[in-house]
Amino acid sequence: MRSLLTLLFALLASSSLASDIVIRKGTGKTSVDLSGMTFSADTAARDFFTTLQTSLARSGWLEQGRPGASEYRVSGPVQFDGATIRAQLTVAQVAPPRVVLTRTYNGSAAEVRRRAFEAADDIVEEITGRRGFASARLLLVGRQGQAKELYISDSDGRGMYPLTNDKKVIAAPRWGHDGRNIFYTANLTAFQGIYQIDLSTRKRFRIANYSGSNISGGVSPDGRYMAIILSKDGNPELYVMRLSDRQLTRITRTPRAVESSPSWSPDGRQIVYVSDAAGTPHLYIVSREGGTPRQLTTRGRQNVSPDWGPQGEIVYSSLIGGKFQVCTINPQSGMIRQLTSDYADHEDPSWAPNGRHIAVARTEAYRSRVYLIDTMGDPPILLVDTQGDWFAPKWSR
Amino acid sequence: MKYSKLFIGLVVLAAMVMTSGVTGCKKKPKSGDGLTYDEFGNVLGPMDGAGYGSLMNPDDLQVVASQFQPVFFDYDSAQIAGSERAKLEQVADYLRGNMGIGLIVEGHCDERGSNEYNLALGERRAQAVRAYIIGLGIEADRIRTVSYGEEQPMAFGHDEASWRQNRRAQFSLFQ
Repeated sequence: MRSLLTLLFALLASSSLASDIVIRKGTGKTSVDLSGMTFSADTAARDFFTTLQTSLARSGWLEQGRPGASEYRVSGPVQFDGATIRAQLTVAQVAPPRVVLTRTYNGSAAEVRRRAFEAADDIVEEITGRRGFASARLLLVGRQGQAKELYISDSDGRGMYPLTNDKKVIAAPRWGHDGRNIFYTANLTAFQGIYQIDLSTRKRFRIANYSGSNISGGVSPDGRYMAIILSKDGNPELYVMRLSDRQLTRITRTPRAVESSPSWSPDGRQIVYVSDAAGTPHLYIVSREGGTPRQLTTRGRQNVSPDWGPQGEIVYSSLIGGKFQVCTINPQSGMIRQLTSDYADHEDPSWAPNGRHIAVARTEAYRSRVYLIDTMGDPPILLVDTQGDWFAPKWSR
Repeated sequence: MKYSKLFIGLVVLAAMVMTSGVTGCKKKPKSGDGLTYDEFGNVLGPMDGAGYGSLMNPDDLQVVASQFQPVFFDYDSAQIAGSERAKLEQVADYLRGNMGIGLIVEGHCDERGSNEYNLALGERRAQAVRAYIIGLGIEADRIRTVSYGEEQPMAFGHDEASWRQNRRAQFSLFQ
C-alpha cells in the first residue's frame, strides 16, 4: 500500500503529466507507455502531448499502457521556447528491447498540433505497420446560422475554419486527390455549378456550368478526372470529366432514372454510384470507360451515398426501419455488414485513410453532428462538437 | 349527304390539328414532335440535347420572382398530377403573351433521402415541368431548370404536412 502511494505521488509530482492508468486486457491493442515523455510547463507542450495521446488512442490499434506493463514505450523531451516547439521522441519496444523510431518534430507555435498528428501517425505506422489518420483533415458542410458553408477541421474535429461565406446553397464537397484542392456544388448564380477551391491560394474557379444539374462527385485516385452528374442531355446522368480540359465522357444512359453520388474504386478503374433505375435508389458499379453497369445492392428501400474505401470495401447509407444506417458491402463477395442500429439517421459516411474508421453525419432529434465509427468494434466517438449542425464529412486521403 | 358530312368533319379535324400546332393548346401526344412520353402520357422531354440552345447557363440574367403558384409532387415522384396541370397552363399562357421573358423552373424535394440524390430528384421534377410547358408550345430555349434538392424548404416541420409543401417546382422569370 505504501509503495503504491509512493508511486502515485511520484507520478503526480514529476514534471510529466500523469497518464491514465487504464489497462484493458484482451483488447487486441498494442499497449504503449507514454510516461517517459517530459514537457516544458506551457500550453504548447501540453497541447502537443494531449494531441498525440488522443490521436494514438483514436488510431484504434494502440492503447495507453502502464509503465513496466506495456509493449512499447515513448520517451523524450517536448519543449517550447516561446517560438518553436521541439519534440525529440524515442519509441522503443520493451521486450526484447529495441529502438524502433527516433525522430525530432519541430515547428512554430501554430504548427504544434500538426507536428503531434505527424508524430502519432509515425508511431502507429512503426509499431503496427498500419496507416494512421491523425494527419488527415475533414471537409464538412456546417450550418452555424441560417446558411450552410464549407469548413475544414483537423482529424480530432478541432481547428475548424470556414472556406466559404456566401450564404448560398452548397452540397457535395469532395477533396482533390492530393489534399490541395476541394470541389463542391453551389448555387452562386441563378443556377447550379461545380466549383474548385485551391486551398493554398484560396482562389475559386467554376469548372462546370451546363444547363440543368452540375453536381460534383468523386475525384479519381490519380487526380485527373472527376465523376459528375449533369442533366444537359435530358435528365441527370453520370459523366466523367477530365479536369485538365473539361472533356466529358458520358457513362450512363437512363432517360427514366436519375444518378447521383459517384465514388471511384482505389485502382481508378470503376465507379460506384446511386441510380433509381430499379425504382428506388440502389448502388451500381460501372467501368470508368462506360458500358453495362452492375447492380450491387438489391435489397432495402434506399441505398445511397457510397464511398469506396482504400481497402476495397464500399461504405454507404441504407434506409432500414425508417432510419438511415451505415453499412459496408464487399463488391466482390456482396457481403454486407450493418455498422449502426440506433434510432438516428446516419448519412454521408466517409472512409478515413486507414480504411478502418468512418466519419458520418448523425442526425438525432433534428440535430446533425459528425461521429467517428470504428469497423472493428470500438464505440463511436463524437468528432465534431462545435455549435451548429454538421453534414457531409469527407476525409482527405 | 353522308359523304359531305364526313368530308366536312375531316376538314374540321385537320383544321384543329393544324391550329393546335400553331397556338400550342392542349393536344394529345403525337410522334415526331421530338418529345417522348411515359406510360401515363406525361411528357418526358427530349432524350438528347435538351433543346437548351447554348449548353451553358448564362450569368447575366435579370431574375425576378414570379407570381405563379408552385406545382406539388407525390413522394419520390416527378409525375405531374392532373390537379397541377392548370397551374402550368397559366405559366404557359403568360409566357405566350410575354415573348421577351424566360422561365426558370426550380425543383425541390422534402428532407428524406440523401442530399445528393435529392439534388438529382429535384432536377428531374424541374425537367418534367419544363417538358410539360414545352409540350404546351413554349420554345425550349426560353425555359431553364435548377434544382435545390432538399436545401430550400418552404415548410420546416418534420412530417407529411411539411414534406408535402416542400416537394415542389417553383417559378421565376428572367430577361
